[in-house]
Amino acid sequence: MSGLSRRGLLRGAVYGAGAAVSASALSGCGSIAGSVRSADEIEYWTLFTGPDGELMKTMTRNVEKRVPGLKVRTTVLDWGPPYYTKLAMASAGGRSPDVAIMHLTRLAGYAPGGLLDPWDLDLLAEFGLKQEDLNKTLVKRSLYQGEPYAVPLDTHPFVVFFDRDVMDKAGLLTGDGQLVPFESPKHALELMDKLRRSGGTLGPVFGHANDAAMGWRMFWTLFSQTGATFDLTGKRAEIDEDTAVEVVRFMADLTRDSRTMDVQTAIAAFANGRSPMIFSGEWDMATYKATLKDKLGGSPIPTFYDRPAGASDSHALVLPHQDNPDPERRRRAHRFVAELVRSGLTWATAGHIPAYTPAVSSPQYARLRPQSEYAGAAKQLVLDPPVWFAGSGSDFQTRMCQALDPALGGSSSARSAVRTMVSQINTLLAQPNPA
Amino acid sequence: MASVSTPARRAAAGSSRRAGFRRAAATDRTRSGGAGWLFATPFLVFFTLFLIVPIGIGLWMSFTNASLTGHGDGTLVGLDNYAEAFGDSQVWQTLGNTVWFTVLTTVPLVLVALVMALLVYTGMPGQWLWRLAFFASHLLPVAVVYQIWSMLFQPDRGMLNGLLKIFGIDGIAWLTDEKYAMWSIALVTLWWTVGFNFLLYLAALQAIPDHLYEAAALDGAGAWRRLWSVTLPQLRRTTGLIAVLQVMASLKVFDQIYLLTKGGPNGATRPILEYIYDTGFTNYRLGYASAVSYVFFGLIIILSIAQLKIFSRRED
Amino acid sequence: MTTETLSPRTPGKPRSTMPREVVRRRRYSGRVWHPSLGTGPLPRVLTLLALALMTVVWLVPFGWGVDTSFKTEVDASASGADWIPKAGFTLDAYRTIFGQGNLPVWAVNSVVIAVCVTAITVAISAMAAYAFSRTLFRGRRVLFAVTVASIMVPPQILIVPLFRQMLALNLVDTYAAVILPQVVAPAMVFILKKFFDGIPRELEEAARIDGAGSFRVFWSVVLPLSRPILAAVAIFVFINTWNNFLWPFISTSDPQLMTLPVGLSTVKDSTGLRNAQESAASILGSVPLLIVFMLFQRQIVKSVATTGLGGQ
Repeated sequence: MSGLSRRGLLRGAVYGAGAAVSASALSGCGSIAGSVRSADEIEYWTLFTGPDGELMKTMTRNVEKRVPGLKVRTTVLDWGPPYYTKLAMASAGGRSPDVAIMHLTRLAGYAPGGLLDPWDLDLLAEFGLKQEDLNKTLVKRSLYQGEPYAVPLDTHPFVVFFDRDVMDKAGLLTGDGQLVPFESPKHALELMDKLRRSGGTLGPVFGHANDAAMGWRMFWTLFSQTGATFDLTGKRAEIDEDTAVEVVRFMADLTRDSRTMDVQTAIAAFANGRSPMIFSGEWDMATYKATLKDKLGGSPIPTFYDRPAGASDSHALVLPHQDNPDPERRRRAHRFVAELVRSGLTWATAGHIPAYTPAVSSPQYARLRPQSEYAGAAKQLVLDPPVWFAGSGSDFQTRMCQALDPALGGSSSARSAVRTMVSQINTLLAQPNPA
Repeated sequence: MASVSTPARRAAAGSSRRAGFRRAAATDRTRSGGAGWLFATPFLVFFTLFLIVPIGIGLWMSFTNASLTGHGDGTLVGLDNYAEAFGDSQVWQTLGNTVWFTVLTTVPLVLVALVMALLVYTGMPGQWLWRLAFFASHLLPVAVVYQIWSMLFQPDRGMLNGLLKIFGIDGIAWLTDEKYAMWSIALVTLWWTVGFNFLLYLAALQAIPDHLYEAAALDGAGAWRRLWSVTLPQLRRTTGLIAVLQVMASLKVFDQIYLLTKGGPNGATRPILEYIYDTGFTNYRLGYASAVSYVFFGLIIILSIAQLKIFSRRED
Repeated sequence: MTTETLSPRTPGKPRSTMPREVVRRRRYSGRVWHPSLGTGPLPRVLTLLALALMTVVWLVPFGWGVDTSFKTEVDASASGADWIPKAGFTLDAYRTIFGQGNLPVWAVNSVVIAVCVTAITVAISAMAAYAFSRTLFRGRRVLFAVTVASIMVPPQILIVPLFRQMLALNLVDTYAAVILPQVVAPAMVFILKKFFDGIPRELEEAARIDGAGSFRVFWSVVLPLSRPILAAVAIFVFINTWNNFLWPFISTSDPQLMTLPVGLSTVKDSTGLRNAQESAASILGSVPLLIVFMLFQRQIVKSVATTGLGGQ
């Protein structure tokens, strides 16, 4: 067969396929106003990627197995502002998913705007989830005007992970395997130098480049430890700038081996043993556990300044607003969420501290390591400042991170970073609250 | 340039002949006025609904506090949004970024496209391959461009820094260093979109009449001489058009920046369209976002008119 | 011949005195005679080298994506520029991708949306262009002027009001919301009108004498004569719609309705290291259009050349 006719044949095939596809596509044009959504599946949006995502998938499958007839279609969207923007746009459009994950700190930006629908507590209780079995602090934060707009699933603090062997060799562990206390930032830096000399190639790492949350988490943790002023209640921010500058300098010094690392790179550096210590979300615990196994140690963020503090938030389940919710689907959504939250112990294996209290007080939880080692983080947690524009995945956090990044990367000074942060906060404060 | 006058005259004759047709048609086509409306209506309906009406809605919204959530009731706030926009450092910064991106990309996107087209036009064997290589990237969805380049740009594990290392050069933080981020974005944009301009140039080259070259060759002009005094002058009009189109396209940049850097580091790459998106949808402020859109629209109109002026002067 | 009539943007452009076929034959024949290239071997070798170099530079990024898609996830996120992975090549990434349901859904959405937009755009633009070119309805001058002026309005600045409009019409998260705003293409109306202006009227007159009405003339005289330009417009609109990102990104939040470019960049799979998988998804997402391009290169090149300068 000559090349030409083979080409002709191929072309004919493509024409044919094209015609068939076009015909079906055009007939699809006829029903363009309809939405394609299957009736018996509930739509569930999450922002969990990585090991978290795998675990959530497993938990969802388990719920589907336990509850005959319940089908869940999970969609994972890119975490951060993209997720929350999409969620708000879908809710405003009235064709939102049936259930979605949301950070508790974001509730203030959603519930007052009518983007969420409240939960039916009786229905949840009917499916075995009682309010009194949930972490009290979190429940309190899930109310808006007395109505429950969120069902908390966990708290997820920012913590430290380390390689026990290397840390021990460098003398950074106490006899019972805890981190040695740091007396001051200066002391901490000295110890880290010691760690660099005795350990691998790198000191502690911290992935932050082009991330919309990490830089802020670290800053907020350390700044909260100083107890200095950070007041956003007025028209203009009142922030102790000198302390902030000191904190940023310390951050940059502490993590100078990871100046330009993004989150993935830092995770890889720690997981493959190039660095013995990482400042990280506990949600990446499973990745580390997979390679470091029993050598993996964990701890709440050490107290470098005056008081213990660690940035944190909580994953909660919400009902995005729907214009005409189908009662049967709503019922299924309640059922699904009740089952999910009660699987707290499974969720804890990924690293999170469950909001379901019977899970936390169980003996199985005490045996989970390093989870139980950093469980104390729940006691020292600090949440974002209580303003409408803050919270996980907010534009505020993005702006703070973008201001911090150059200082952490060494391309600008700590003072200019703090100046940018303050001016960004003032810009946000000057904006009318749209929610 | 005596040789140009002949075709020009021929063209003039052609257009006057067409004008004659038009006149003839006009006299016996009056009866089909109704049919004209019938033909134009579908387009005009869509045109009105999805272009004219949104322009109106946007203008109206820019004077209100409209919000994405239930609370934005759309109360009139007069010129507040515009006053805020002109005093908003983010508006100026993102406008600056947009203009800087346009400056960085327009020149290489025109020049590289021209070089590619000139090389391919030499008729070297393998035309199919050259055209595929230079144009195929234009056909990639932005998500693919993002996936490929975010891998190449990885500071620690990426291929580009891997290549630099072979030559003993320290890795560059392509997308995370304020100094380089916009350049990196410009590089991606060049790779992604140059194929389009390349094809436009190639078509323009093929439209240059051969007799011009024949005449030049008879006059003893060498290859370079023919390039300078025949090819490039003949491409002037096309170059002008491509440059205008490129400026307009670059001003509207959003996709690749939104995906690669989300506007970072420290807002160094955030274009105005992303600021409009962030303001309207992430921060719910539809009214203010509309006002910023209209400030941007104003800039585009001013630039279009300026370009038109410059362009038409050059034509004279 | 077709290229001549296919150039509405340059109505008065000087043409070759030689038939195009002759030129082409000469260009591809062994004795390359080229207007701006010397005849010696050195310029030819240099040109070939330059072409080869640029081709490599332009193909390497895409090649790296293809290469990565055949690696294991560990190799795909390893550092450096190793083209040959330590663990060998594998189809794992493709297998995983096919195991997840989203990619086919997005591909179908992309096809449905691109086909609908192209069909509607070509139909309404051609009709309007015909009306502007050949009929004398009242107000046509003003309307045509408005249409041409609106080419200057970038649709991107209308995202906020358009989204608000879709909210009001209760169309957010429907195909209609993605499709309808994209069918307004004043530039295409302009291009088609210019082309119709150039079609000799005698043919239509003959049909009219035979008693054909306006629609009949349009359908059986004008459209068949305009096939090349209609194809050019259709190809151009199709490619633009297929790769459009901003509006589909804004008008759809439901992953079941997303197009390939939006879905690939918005929806994440839940595995940790995923360079290989995302590369595989990317390759699959770009293959359809690339195949179409390879098969119809000549037509597509022509389409871009004729519509590009007047286009978006």
